[in-house]
Amino acid sequence: MNIRKLVWVEFMYHKSQLISGLLAIMLGVAVIVGIRSISVVSEKAVAINLDNLGANILVLPQGSNVDNYYSADIDAPTFPEEYVERVATSSLAGVDNMSPKLTRRIIISGQKTVLTGILPKSELASKPIWQNSGLFGSSLKASCGPSPVNESLGYKDEKLQRKSIDSLAADDCMMGYSVAKRLNVKENGTIVIEGKTFKVAKVISETGTIDDDRIFAHLHTVQHLLGIKEQISAIEIMGCCNAISDGLLGKLRNILPNTKITTIGQIVATQIQTNKMMNKVSLIFLIIIIFVGGISIGNFMWANVNERRKEIGMLRMIGFSRAVIYKMLLAKAFILGVLGGIVGYIIGTAAGMWLGPEIAGLSVAPVPGLIGISLLISIGVSLIGALIPAYLAGRIEPFSNMQEG
Amino acid sequence: MILKVNNLHKKYQHADGVINALDQINFEVKEGAFVTITGSSGSGKTTLLLSLAGLIKATSGEIYFRDFRIDKANDKELSDFRKNHVGFVMQTFALIPYLTAIENVMLPLAVSRLPDSQKYEAAMDLLKLVGLENRKNHLPKELSAGQQQRVAIARALINKPSLILADEPTGNLDPVLSKEILDLLSDINKKQGITVLMVTHSPMAARYGTIQIQLQDGKINSIT
Ligand SMILES: Nc1ncnc2c1ncn2[C@@H]1O[C@H](COP(=O)(O)OP(=O)(O)O)[C@@H](O)[C@H]1O
Ligand SMILES: [Mg+2]
Repeated sequence: MNIRKLVWVEFMYHKSQLISGLLAIMLGVAVIVGIRSISVVSEKAVAINLDNLGANILVLPQGSNVDNYYSADIDAPTFPEEYVERVATSSLAGVDNMSPKLTRRIIISGQKTVLTGILPKSELASKPIWQNSGLFGSSLKASCGPSPVNESLGYKDEKLQRKSIDSLAADDCMMGYSVAKRLNVKENGTIVIEGKTFKVAKVISETGTIDDDRIFAHLHTVQHLLGIKEQISAIEIMGCCNAISDGLLGKLRNILPNTKITTIGQIVATQIQTNKMMNKVSLIFLIIIIFVGGISIGNFMWANVNERRKEIGMLRMIGFSRAVIYKMLLAKAFILGVLGGIVGYIIGTAAGMWLGPEIAGLSVAPVPGLIGISLLISIGVSLIGALIPAYLAGRIEPFSNMQEG
Repeated sequence: MILKVNNLHKKYQHADGVINALDQINFEVKEGAFVTITGSSGSGKTTLLLSLAGLIKATSGEIYFRDFRIDKANDKELSDFRKNHVGFVMQTFALIPYLTAIENVMLPLAVSRLPDSQKYEAAMDLLKLVGLENRKNHLPKELSAGQQQRVAIARALINKPSLILADEPTGNLDPVLSKEILDLLSDINKKQGITVLMVTHSPMAARYGTIQIQLQDGKINSIT
């Protein structure tokens, strides 16, 4: 029997009352962890994806934004596939490569994933403009060298480079690493997507990008399956840097009405904006839990102290000093803080993993680094909340009437 | 002398005037004595006992425990005094509901630096002394009233006190159990030489005292 054991036994004895005291702090920590774990992957994924897009210009439908592009909402706007032809036949200088896409969120055996329709090299290469550009060798590269964005982000990992796809049969599909694992499909197996059976031509090795969560199939098959005839949701273009500074974007806008054409620099700026906002939301929640969490812990501790007045008076009688009583109360707050931090972290991580694909179109992994922050916040708030109750508990006089018990 | 009380006064302010709960109290207690304090309800017995433990501040007067001036001590000194020298036994037992018998006995040692094994052994020895070694893992609610009071007595002894202060320790017990508890206290007093001050209003209990103090309206009526 020592103080620590005494605190622990009391804690366990009254554990049924814990939820009320911990609720605010747990939820607060959970929200922060949830937001952070989503934004951590989104920051990373955006950096990696944009760098390895194999493109530095994005053509998106009017009124859409990069978020639509990543999240692939069911009603995300589209534009005609014929635009690919327009660019190809426009003889615009500086367009080195393009890749049209149709992207939609789908559900396969209860699992959310994203289906992306792409055109394989063999079909794009038939267009005259591509014939001698040497684009379909290994990885896609701008003919005028790496773009400045690529340089600055510095993802040079060979396996992250998106390889072009030589050919893709109408009923073939390629699965991202994570989605294949989640659905438990192997290469050369089959999978039913939206009622159609596909052969899994390839499981793409892990890239750490949103591609891991996607299923790729032939653009025309996807259009047919989803009933979105001759429409696409984006064209990724590899443009020559010099041409971009010479006004390539403007020229593209002229021939592609009702689209939004942005460079990766702009996209990165948008994403940075979004992440800034997420951080602001986290900060607001931090302030909220310091107040609400601290008050609710304080309230809980105060109720606990009041309930145990006689007990504390008895402890004071048999020789427990004020300092020991403070210590016991703060130790209890510490345990509450640890519990709130851990449970909050678990709930937040679970929520992030569950909502991540929904919100950001990304599979969210637990971020172990957030455990420390969760504990720090939760323990700090608990101790602050417990200060006043602990002080008042220390002021409880030793038994003033031995008959009271 | 283990205790010396000089001219002790305790006044309580009430809506209808001042109450002299203790009035002009003077007495001395030799080491190893068994003192019983009797008197009708409201005569000041509990007030006296609490003052001796430094649990309430007297209005005036002096209280000595050996050389230690209780009425002048601060909170820390009084905590140490109670921790090291006093064992308490109360009418309502004052056991902690979520601790087992042996944990309740060990409780006063929670603030001491003794190794846990030593605390456990000491508590076990005392549970044997009060005949409850086979109830060590029972919670208070799983024990009878007499057993609970015996656990409380074991707890009062764990710090090897030189003074036991008991306030109506048999007040909640029937005559048979009362006699058991009184015999136990008497035994402890005789065999271990621990000084006992026991407040009681039972004449049967009062007869256990080698010194019997009778209070009336806050004054000492007689000492025999
Ligand atoms: N905390 C208190 N505040 C006011 N009056 C008190 C208090 N404690 C005791 N008294 C009064 O002091 C007198 C002695 O009380 P007490 O020592 O409890 O008597 P006893 O234990 O002999 O029954 C009583 O009149 C009681 O009402
Ligand atoms: Mg009394």
